[in-house]
Amino acid sequence: MKTATSGQKKVIVIPCSGIGKAFGSISRDATYEVTENLRKDTTQTLCLALLVSGDEESLQLIQNNKCITVDGCPLQCAEKNVKLAGGNLAGSLRVVDAYKENRHLKPKGVTFLDPDGQQMALALAGKIAKKVDDLLEEH
Amino acid sequence: MTDSQEKKVGIISCSGEGCVEGTIARVATRLVLEKLRPEETVTICLPLFLAGGGEERAFAKYYPTITVDGCDKLCAKVGTERYSGKPAGSIVVTDLAKSSGCSKLRSLRKLESEELALAQKVAEGIAREVDEVLEHWR
Amino acid sequence: MSEYLRTVFDKFELRVRKGLYYTKDGLWVSVENGKVRVGVSDYLQKISGDVAFIEVAKPGSTIEKGKEFGTLESVKTTVALLSPMSGKVDEMNGELTGKPELVNSDPYGEGWLMVIIPCNLEEDRASLLGAEDYYKLMLEKLQSEHEKLESR
Repeated sequence: MKTATSGQKKVIVIPCSGIGKAFGSISRDATYEVTENLRKDTTQTLCLALLVSGDEESLQLIQNNKCITVDGCPLQCAEKNVKLAGGNLAGSLRVVDAYKENRHLKPKGVTFLDPDGQQMALALAGKIAKKVDDLLEEH
Repeated sequence: MTDSQEKKVGIISCSGEGCVEGTIARVATRLVLEKLRPEETVTICLPLFLAGGGEERAFAKYYPTITVDGCDKLCAKVGTERYSGKPAGSIVVTDLAKSSGCSKLRSLRKLESEELALAQKVAEGIAREVDEVLEHWR
Repeated sequence: MSEYLRTVFDKFELRVRKGLYYTKDGLWVSVENGKVRVGVSDYLQKISGDVAFIEVAKPGSTIEKGKEFGTLESVKTTVALLSPMSGKVDEMNGELTGKPELVNSDPYGEGWLMVIIPCNLEEDRASLLGAEDYYKLMLEKLQSEHEKLESR
């Protein structure tokens, strides 16, 4: 996993990755699209479960860098868990916000994203990337 | 939980974004849920479970669970023990990868053939654990 | 004593609130001082999935029993909502425009859809199910879902 070196601020993008719904898979894929492609030098991701298990390195990362959570459903587990862990939460995005602008897409695949799911992930990735840019500009 | 509930096993998987084994854990779990043991298993959403999801934690308290972790940080296993109770079974993908002789796994996001083959192996391992748990339960 | 009839399917607890009337499609009806409040049952919200949009007939609209008065659009499907009663829409739940998830999180409370001034209250109410009968219907539907899965 990439780590932020001292002096080099990154935005940490944390998806919920909910396993029961297509939107959980989309949150994950959109995050990877940002951290591996769209904003690969200025972002990284993190396992949500590590925060809850108290992993020191992960806790330091979310406390010392701005975080964006990406949630698949209204229960907003990523946002809740990052807040509980004392993370520097600078933005919260939801897959449903991308859905509202793309109502024709009806993703069904959970294990592997179908074409509608992939398209929605890309749309969401664009929103995340924009948020990242806004946050880095504030620095 | 009511008497009408059939015997089911809860699978709690990590989805660790930081390593390909997390993706494999997730895909393997889904394969079990969708194809290998759809009638006998239920997925417990780990983020929801950790965030305090009542239904997830209640299920894990009253029904047997199998945790599937990508790496030796064991987030799914530790979380389950903390909030509901000791799981009936536990699978760690990195252990299976070593014993299967998998070479360095590469793709984090889209699984290539080697990673898919390992996901299938892990799924079969989970399915065997499910069968054992149900056998003991009868 | 609980105000709900409950059952468990997979890991989900499904509740039917006592004291309400129900349509076979899964809408609930509460009679309140001659007016009627309408909402979505726990079972219906669960099978629909996460609600993204709700559209309901506007206040002042005339609606007819059994005819569509709105739609519920989730990430999985779009459900046509059929009116349990004839009458005029008195109120619609404005909160649902910004927070459609209330239908999922609190279907019997804050997730209500609309209030109707009924024109045929007694006759329309007589054709609805009581909580116990709706509960039995829900169990039948769950059993049928289970059998469908088994036969796959």
